[in-house]
Amino acid sequence: MPKSILITGASKGIGAATAERFFYADNDITDLILLARESEEFEKLIGRFADDNPHGKRVFPHFIDLADRARIVGLMRDVMAEAGKVDILINNAGYTAPCALQQISFADFERTMGVNVYAPFTIVQELLHCGNTFELIVNIASTAGMSGRPGWLTYGASKAAVINMSEAIKEELSIYGTRVVCISPGRCATDLRRKLAPDEDPSTIMQPEHVASVIDMLASDVGHLVDSQNFVVRR
Amino acid sequence: MYSLMLLNGGIGNRVAAGRPKQFIEVAGRPIIVYSLVAADAVPEIDQIVLNYPEGFREEIEHLVADYAVQTPVTYVAAGASRHESVAAMLPECRNDRVLIHESARPLVGTADFKQLVADPRENVSLMLPIPFTVAPVDPDTALVTGSLERDRLRNVQLPQKFLKADLAEAHEQARDRRLVFTEDATLCAVTGHEVHFIDGQDTNIKVTTPTDVKLAGFLLGGDDDA
Ligand SMILES: NC(=O)c1ccc[n+]([C@@H]2O[C@H](COP(=O)([O-])OP(=O)(O)OC[C@H]3O[C@@H](n4cnc5c(N)ncnc54)[C@H](OP(=O)(O)O)[C@@H]3O)[C@@H](O)[C@H]2O)c1
Repeated sequence: MPKSILITGASKGIGAATAERFFYADNDITDLILLARESEEFEKLIGRFADDNPHGKRVFPHFIDLADRARIVGLMRDVMAEAGKVDILINNAGYTAPCALQQISFADFERTMGVNVYAPFTIVQELLHCGNTFELIVNIASTAGMSGRPGWLTYGASKAAVINMSEAIKEELSIYGTRVVCISPGRCATDLRRKLAPDEDPSTIMQPEHVASVIDMLASDVGHLVDSQNFVVRR
Repeated sequence: MYSLMLLNGGIGNRVAAGRPKQFIEVAGRPIIVYSLVAADAVPEIDQIVLNYPEGFREEIEHLVADYAVQTPVTYVAAGASRHESVAAMLPECRNDRVLIHESARPLVGTADFKQLVADPRENVSLMLPIPFTVAPVDPDTALVTGSLERDRLRNVQLPQKFLKADLAEAHEQARDRRLVFTEDATLCAVTGHEVHFIDGQDTNIKVTTPTDVKLAGFLLGGDDDA
């Protein structure tokens, strides 16, 4: 049976590496629904997929700001109309603007929670309300959600919420046989990491493709054997 | 193809505490959801006939949508008794073969429905052997009146399946002869239809008391620490 995968934050970093991995693989995942805001990077990725599509997969890109909850609700209806279903959901999009407590603007804290917590929640809930049940949901949290660190208050708190929310979703969606895995990557060479650790040499840490390979494993037959509340991925 | 009649009575009033019984929660979800979701995953069930308590149709419709139930649902107002409910629901069944289940049994699994569907016989009920001794008594005199062979007795469970025509005929007879039965396998058997049984699961308990709610939650792996 052909399957569909929805990846949020597919424009770059871990999300783009995951999209590429599933796009170029000769497997039963034939539809890719890719979400990010409009950007040159995202356009380029979509262009590459259009120019060279070795397995004739269908790609449905959507430009959306995931802080805009009302738009997510509408978009999920469009996604169901075009793809018919979402078997695999990768809640990957993430946002951070590291800042000391004294200087955090409340609007930014809300934005962090909106993109990192409310968006994945809304996507899951709306797709269920559209009659979609999932085979697999992978939520990308972070090791930063497992312990608090100075300057990362908003990001860490949002990722802690993702870890806890994933446990609840896992229990609640067990009635459909949905597998839910939360993964917490450690340091990974992406733009987001550069914001958190500007002085680090990206070539010395884990690459987005590494995390993508773990997500690929979770979607494979082996993934059925992984029953973890929070799966740490780290090099 | 089968129509599933999902009955919503049977839960004790103490459990429901003033709310319609379909909405009592087991392990964080309305009890009715478990049966709906289990039946939804059975391809041979292409219609669910659901009875709703007066005034709560909209709320039940919301539950069906919120929990992503895809099988078409036909809504029928609940009758005053189980007999009346079944009598009102049966004509709404589009298929010649019907399944009966009750939402008070949230531990039903897709496999239970599939087992019944796969059985080549027409009228079949899940039943359980009785692991304890039962005695016939006269409650008025408080006398034990004999003994019963438990090998020849079964604990009647749901789901069950019937030919729609057999079940309708049995209910007609019951009305004419003023027979009152609390379930349909024995009703069909007593009114002359061949009814078979297969072994069910002992986890498929009926939730009728607050203790049952806890037990069901435990069996569903739900109870939280905090
Ligand atoms: N890199 C690490 O060290 C690390 C460690 C642990 C966890 N993670 C997590 O991994 C996930 C992926 O991040 P990454 O490291 O790959 O970072 P990245 O390269 O910066 O990518 C982040 C992705 O999220 C999307 N996104 C951010 N804000 C958005 C918004 N408002 N609306 C729509 N999309 C939005 C971005 O799309 P746009 O094009 O719209 O910006 C981009 O595709 C995140 O959840 C992150 O928290 C990363």
